[in-house]
Amino acid sequence: MLINFPYIDRDSPVHRLDTRAKFILLLAYGFAVAQTSNFWLMLGGFILAAYYYKQAHLKWSETKRAWYLIIALNVMIIFVNYFLSGGAVVQGVDLPRHQHVLYYLPFLGLKGHFPFIGPTPLLISVESITFMITQGLRNFSIALFAIPIPYTTNPSDIGIAFKRMGLPDKFAYAVDLSFRFLPTVARDFGTTLDAQRARGFEIDKLRGGIFTKIARLAPMVVPVVIGSIVGAEDIISAMELRCFGVGKRTWFTELHARRIDKIIITLSIAGFFAITLLNILGNYYATGFLHVLHVQGIPAFLAP
Amino acid sequence: MAVSEGREERSRPTIWGIGVRQVVYMALGAALYGGLSYLTNILQLPATSNVSFRPGIVIPLFFGVVFGPWVGLFTGGVGNFLGDYISGYGVYWNWDVGNGIIGLIAGLALYFTWGRYYRVASIVTAEIFGVVGILVGLGFAAYSDIWVSKYNFAAATGNFVPAALSDLINGIILLPILLVAYNAATRRMGRG
Repeated sequence: MLINFPYIDRDSPVHRLDTRAKFILLLAYGFAVAQTSNFWLMLGGFILAAYYYKQAHLKWSETKRAWYLIIALNVMIIFVNYFLSGGAVVQGVDLPRHQHVLYYLPFLGLKGHFPFIGPTPLLISVESITFMITQGLRNFSIALFAIPIPYTTNPSDIGIAFKRMGLPDKFAYAVDLSFRFLPTVARDFGTTLDAQRARGFEIDKLRGGIFTKIARLAPMVVPVVIGSIVGAEDIISAMELRCFGVGKRTWFTELHARRIDKIIITLSIAGFFAITLLNILGNYYATGFLHVLHVQGIPAFLAP
Repeated sequence: MAVSEGREERSRPTIWGIGVRQVVYMALGAALYGGLSYLTNILQLPATSNVSFRPGIVIPLFFGVVFGPWVGLFTGGVGNFLGDYISGYGVYWNWDVGNGIIGLIAGLALYFTWGRYYRVASIVTAEIFGVVGILVGLGFAAYSDIWVSKYNFAAATGNFVPAALSDLINGIILLPILLVAYNAATRRMGRG
């Protein structure tokens, strides 16, 4: 049984980006777009994210599995969220006193009196449709920044990147070590599964109820976990003999941020702070530019 | 040596200390959790979002209750990150933090058990901390999506309930099995 890292060794602008820039860009963008549901800002962010994804030069055949999941997930989130909220899906933005209703969808909902369930039409309005589109743009734009990371980042750069972003040495080294352990763990899983199969254990033919099935997973999980812990003793001894943790650690790989990396990091952090400041100021100014994050931005001809 | 080791283990700095042993177990736990998550990611629960059937949840619980809160935090957080990373799904910080909280809270059991699970009472204590960890950790992950993805409360609950139920059942059943097996292994190694 093999675990292959999805990293594709290719020369593209995103591949050449410093690992820190990719993570900071993703986090800053994620935290920024969580603070607003303005359609135009979200559309701008989506276009930026799409451009970034295009620069990664990833093929559909390489990422389609991830995208199938993301698309299914986001569509489900948006529509289930709408139904579970009873049509009152808009949140975090100013709503007009009367929404611009397009249709009432026949549906069932909970009532406060017997029989506690009854017809509850779901509101379909310009505002709710705009909000759902904005939600989709937000989720897909975050995915456009997130998905390229495993495909464009060498796993050996992850540990040093976290170290340079301020994570303590021991944690950063543990991140690096965990990537190195992965193939060994996968091999152990495969070996254990084959050995248990030889003893009549079939993971895809577990009989019994849910509790029994889970308990019957033990012959696969327990030997791998305990065997790995026992095997780790040799690694611990080897590291102690080499005085791990005694002094400041140096790294085999060094990251060198280029000008473009520094620009991206600076702009990401500055953008996040700007959005945050605008979000805070929007609570004190009811109209005007400073309130822009608190409105959906629906054009007047759609919502007169 | 045994007496001084016993005295050394019974101290707060030891529970929160990070030595070579903790670093290796962090990495190992994260790799195990990430690998097992990757292998079982295909088993999806019917819910509003991507919630997979994860017997691997026992790994951050086990590593937390045996090796401490830092190891549990790292195993859950980085392990979840690894599982999503090698699946090619990307990086989603709130679910990584939520899984980290599961291991962190489970690791607090060390204050009562000192990492020794020879008695039923200790195993029950570990289970209780595991349950609390799962509820708090998954609660953070699911309900933070109200802010991150603009879910409403009902949709976030629709994410939380099946994930928590699945993890609770997996954790409660597999954790004692793993603890008993670990006891037997450490006795054979002469470290029990």
